[in-house]
Amino acid sequence: MEVPSEIELSEDVAGQEEKANEEEDGLEQLQRDPQEVEDTLRDTQITPEVLNMLRQDHHVDLSQCPDSYKENSKQEKLLLAIAENFRSQYAHLYPDRKPLLMCPRNECGVQKFVSTTLRPTLLSHPELYSWEGCASFVSEFLSMKPLEPPFDPPRHLFSPALVLQTQRGTCFDFSTLLCSLLLGAGYDAYCVSGYAVKDICLLNQSRQECPLLVPPEKRKTEEQKQEMRKYSVKPPRDLRSSFKQQQEARRQAETEAAVHKERQEAEREQEERERPPPDSLLGLRVHCWVLVLCGKRKVPENFFIDPLTGKSYATTNENFLGIESVWNHQNYWVNMQDCRFGCAKMTYDLGDAEKWEYLLFGPTSQSQQLIREQQDIENEDETDEALFEMPQSWVSPIYISQEDMESRCPGGTKVTQYRKAKLEKFAPYLLKDGLVTRLSVYDDLDCTQLKTVKEWYKNRHDHLEEKELEKTSNVTVEHFSPGRNDALKRHRYTTLIPENERQMDFYSTARVDGLASRVETPFEMTETFEDRPDFLCYRHVIFGKWPDVSKGGMVPDQGQRPLQKVVERFHRDKSKPASKDVAERSFLVSEGWIEVTYHLEDDRIIPGWHIFVKPQDSRNSLNQPTFNSEMVSSFQVDPFAKPYKELFLYEMLMSLMKEEENVILRTRESEHEIKAILTLREQENSNTELHTSIYNTTKHEKARTLWREQERKAKEEHQGLKEKERDYLAPYLSKHGNPESLTQQAAIQIRADCLADLKQHLTRHANVIQARYEKETQQLQMKQQWFQKNQLHITKEEETEYLAYCSGAMLRIRVLKQRLNRHKEEASQRYQALDEKLRRDPRLANHLW
Amino acid sequence: MSSQYETATVSVIDEEMLQKAVEEQGPKGQAGRIAKEEGVQYNELLQLRLDYRNIPRIDHLWQFTSLTKLQLDNNVIEKIEGLECLTNLIWLDLSFNNIEVIEGLNKLLKLEDLSLSNNRISIIENMDTLRNLQILSLGNNLIDKLDNVIYLRKFSNLRTLNLAGNPVCDEENYKLFVTAHLPDLVYLDFRLLNEQTREMAYAKYQYAVEEMRHNESQEQKAVEEEQRKEAELQLHKDAFVEFLNGPHLFDSMFADDAEAAKLAYIPGVATLLEYYQSQLVELCMQVFEAGLTQHGRRAAEVQCFQDCSREAVSDNQQRAAQRAAEFERSRREMMAEIQQTTDSKFLKSQINQYMDEINTLYESLMTMELQLVDQLEEIIKEFERNISDMVGEFIEVVQGIFAQCRDLENHHHEKILEIAVATLERVAKNELDDDMPDDVRMLFVDKDTVINAVSASHDTHLGKIDNREDELVTRINSWMSALLNSIHEEEVKRNRKRIAEIDHYISYVKEQLNDLSL
Repeated sequence: MEVPSEIELSEDVAGQEEKANEEEDGLEQLQRDPQEVEDTLRDTQITPEVLNMLRQDHHVDLSQCPDSYKENSKQEKLLLAIAENFRSQYAHLYPDRKPLLMCPRNECGVQKFVSTTLRPTLLSHPELYSWEGCASFVSEFLSMKPLEPPFDPPRHLFSPALVLQTQRGTCFDFSTLLCSLLLGAGYDAYCVSGYAVKDICLLNQSRQECPLLVPPEKRKTEEQKQEMRKYSVKPPRDLRSSFKQQQEARRQAETEAAVHKERQEAEREQEERERPPPDSLLGLRVHCWVLVLCGKRKVPENFFIDPLTGKSYATTNENFLGIESVWNHQNYWVNMQDCRFGCAKMTYDLGDAEKWEYLLFGPTSQSQQLIREQQDIENEDETDEALFEMPQSWVSPIYISQEDMESRCPGGTKVTQYRKAKLEKFAPYLLKDGLVTRLSVYDDLDCTQLKTVKEWYKNRHDHLEEKELEKTSNVTVEHFSPGRNDALKRHRYTTLIPENERQMDFYSTARVDGLASRVETPFEMTETFEDRPDFLCYRHVIFGKWPDVSKGGMVPDQGQRPLQKVVERFHRDKSKPASKDVAERSFLVSEGWIEVTYHLEDDRIIPGWHIFVKPQDSRNSLNQPTFNSEMVSSFQVDPFAKPYKELFLYEMLMSLMKEEENVILRTRESEHEIKAILTLREQENSNTELHTSIYNTTKHEKARTLWREQERKAKEEHQGLKEKERDYLAPYLSKHGNPESLTQQAAIQIRADCLADLKQHLTRHANVIQARYEKETQQLQMKQQWFQKNQLHITKEEETEYLAYCSGAMLRIRVLKQRLNRHKEEASQRYQALDEKLRRDPRLANHLW
Repeated sequence: MSSQYETATVSVIDEEMLQKAVEEQGPKGQAGRIAKEEGVQYNELLQLRLDYRNIPRIDHLWQFTSLTKLQLDNNVIEKIEGLECLTNLIWLDLSFNNIEVIEGLNKLLKLEDLSLSNNRISIIENMDTLRNLQILSLGNNLIDKLDNVIYLRKFSNLRTLNLAGNPVCDEENYKLFVTAHLPDLVYLDFRLLNEQTREMAYAKYQYAVEEMRHNESQEQKAVEEEQRKEAELQLHKDAFVEFLNGPHLFDSMFADDAEAAKLAYIPGVATLLEYYQSQLVELCMQVFEAGLTQHGRRAAEVQCFQDCSREAVSDNQQRAAQRAAEFERSRREMMAEIQQTTDSKFLKSQINQYMDEINTLYESLMTMELQLVDQLEEIIKEFERNISDMVGEFIEVVQGIFAQCRDLENHHHEKILEIAVATLERVAKNELDDDMPDDVRMLFVDKDTVINAVSASHDTHLGKIDNREDELVTRINSWMSALLNSIHEEEVKRNRKRIAEIDHYISYVKEQLNDLSL
């Protein structure tokens, strides 16, 4: 809607312009008297049109929108005029460029300037204080509506409040909401209207790696891996032929190169296959995203955020093809830089008028503003009055409830397709088994051959947090958070049947026995321990084969497998000398041997050891086992040390034999525990329970019911009290002995008593008022008489006192009189009301009618 | 209490009694039989009980050097003696005896539990060295002064104290006094000290205890300060530049110089001396600084060398140990196998194979050791070279500075001589003031006297400087040679030990095999 007269007008008021736009070819900016603008705009008043589509889709009651939605304020009208002028000049100067998105209509069909649609808001959710949190919330909470057609900016731009309500929007709506949140959180953020590639515009991530699968960047391996120490010994001389080595190396290099080449070829082929079909609309697809400039909130570098995915991109990213304009809540800039080669070479110094043409003179960018402020101080009277500021946002406050924050995605679920992977997200408590995220990784691009399934859980009673299932090997790995009774941390298994291959890791600090992990194979069990006071760190048990059942005759029950060998290792106990500190004990149960090896002494290479042969009749406690030196062979490292005393060896053997029994017992306990854990896990899996934090008032069912119960009780109590108070029949009923049902006579009697009592009460009340009235009048009369008698002698003070009393008394009398009258009026009504009530009373009703 | 024993016949600690006691208290059953067969060494015994035996004198216990627990209660001992050798004692019970004085316990540094109850002790004393004491029982003695308790403040580990039955317990504030003065005590006279008592005690004796604590902490600080200074001096000594960070050298030069004191009275010498001192001190400081930095560098060098050699040794040790452990494992399996074989032919081949393996093990272990020796030798040589370079460099620097010192001294000497001659002339002309002391005036009787005095002073100074320089150089050289010697010796020792170890193991293994094959 071009209004030619406006341009003339602008020339008229050019004298009043305060801005310093001195470029010859630059666009003229307009600042005009608001009154004039209003006059011109009065005729072009826009009638709000109803957006049928919107209503049908989401049942949003537009009539309840605040007035700011339905009409424009003075300031806004002025702004619209300025924008229109700007637009027309722009269109005139740059006929080739696409029309700018400046004043789209809102949900009520009113034209609103884009900057006023931004409403900087800081919400109380801690997640929304960082840009990552804001971006991921916006990308997850809203579902995307593609632009129609994809090469034009939208006609409508809805308020962020409405977008939040409907949870649907175009990329422009996404950006507006995200930008509002970021501005509120203190970022220097801008909405960017421009062009991007198809995948970004249409939120197609199927050609990208899933961010959960991208391995976290490995920290640079410590570079100073040890600078060549001055005195490090040289490696022993290599006595092999260097020529042969060279030949070998060459051969290896050749084969490697071949393999490498092959791989490269395969990769190239793969890439070829995956390349997307060429896009006919490349460079025309309109997109809107968010630009965050460095400086504020310690942002080190400018970057883009794509609101649809919530991911950040460098400003040089090749997916963003061009920028038309950017805006924040204060101003609007048009890009004057060449975008033929994407955004890589753009600069984002918005104060640079050659590269960014601004709409409003004034708060251009932070640095400019500072300079301007200084200038302002210098020549205040010139500039101060005429500066036009962006009007207040017309949008009602943005509000995000805690439930929305938790449920995130529309309907609580969201599915994202990545390259060879599918990511499903669920709101907590949505699914019964507590699943919040499921990542399915596929082997092929079409996502038909499942490779692994990784699931994340929350709030589960069994503390399961993560579960990974490898499809090919059928191995499941479960991760648990601390807090389980059995302190299980990780469980890797293929089946839940005991005595199969599995690995269980534990939170060793939470366990009395300091168990860190337990690895099981069908015939072996290895346990590792941490921080035990007895320095035990490792126990390896080898189980024997089942004894021949036919011979034994008894069917051995599970968990009673015979032990063949148990090896226990200990850490060094610094309080003992190394030659007396046991490093390893092996109980060769089946062979009747016990081996003890000590720790290595400093700079020794061979430890000392004992090998005991258990006495054959050790089982027989009556017959003390005979001990002789044949039963033990020892090795002492120090050839000059005294040989071990026989007594010492004997005592050692005795204690070891006791220890062997203990070890067997402990092994049985371990087996038992495994079984217990497995059965428990099975139960937990089949019957999952979710727990809720007691601080979570919305979700914690028990707390909520309790709370409701309490509330209900309080209410009931209150009501009960009232009812009791109100039960006017109680004293009369009690006179008749509180019978279950009344006789007719009694009912009539009660009614009569009741009415009589009321009558009496009313009369008494009336009498009291009457008595007070009379008393007051009497007193007044007496006072008056006294005054008249002594009128001549009284002092002035007494007179004033008398007068004050008189006026007070008169007032009281008047009030009393009024009250009496009203009482008389009401008395009959109340009598009738009671009568009516009595007739209706269920206890009496049957008998009275 | 002990009167009943006095009438009975006393018995003396003798071989028979000890033997009997040891046997009685030794292991029972099968273990006892073995012990008896084997014979018990007194110096291996850990516990001994000699109670209710009417022993009047502690004697004959010097053999029991590893004893940790000794019970001598309910005897008639009058003097604590003969316990000097039992340095491993942790628990000593001397209750129910006739002891009057605490003594003879100074060597028992490990003592934790001491019982002296039911004796006749009146003063707590002579226990300064028993720092580990945790439980002290002095019940039913004759202690009558509360001040005795203050002595116990020394024992920071003391948790249990028994003084019940002493005259001191009748004093009004006994409990509070003890609690206040021994704040770490947990049990007093068989009772737990509760918080309330502590508070009361603290309130009552706050002032005295605070003062005591203050004094103690002051003492502690003084000791620490002393230690710090000593450490600093030691550092300077290690750098061979002690007392060079000030006018010490200058002072010593003039301290032994009788002439200089006289010459100082000559007008004009005072300013010269001042200048001289400042210059010399500056040079000394240079030496000092250089010494410290060089010392730092040397220390770093030694550290680096030691780290590297230790790393190499431990790395080698680890590999060898792994190799040996692998062999040992296979050896045991093999031994078991051989034991089960009955076929003599097969047995022989097995034994041969086993022999071969032993030999390969021996060779490989020896190769490793030789490699290590070579490697270490190389780095030791390098280290030797570097450290002697460093020392040489340092000596050069120091010598340069000392040469400057000598120049300074020469310069000073010339100046003094000039002044002296000038003064002589003036004295000759009688132009001088009268306030010159007589012995100084005596110098100026003729030219030779003056010049002799001045050059004598000069010689003394030069001698001092030379001495200091020589001292530094000789000390640093001897330090270096000692260091290198010790490194060599250590390496030789290590090598011998390893070789002996390998030999020992191999011979053991072979012996085992021979036993088996026979």
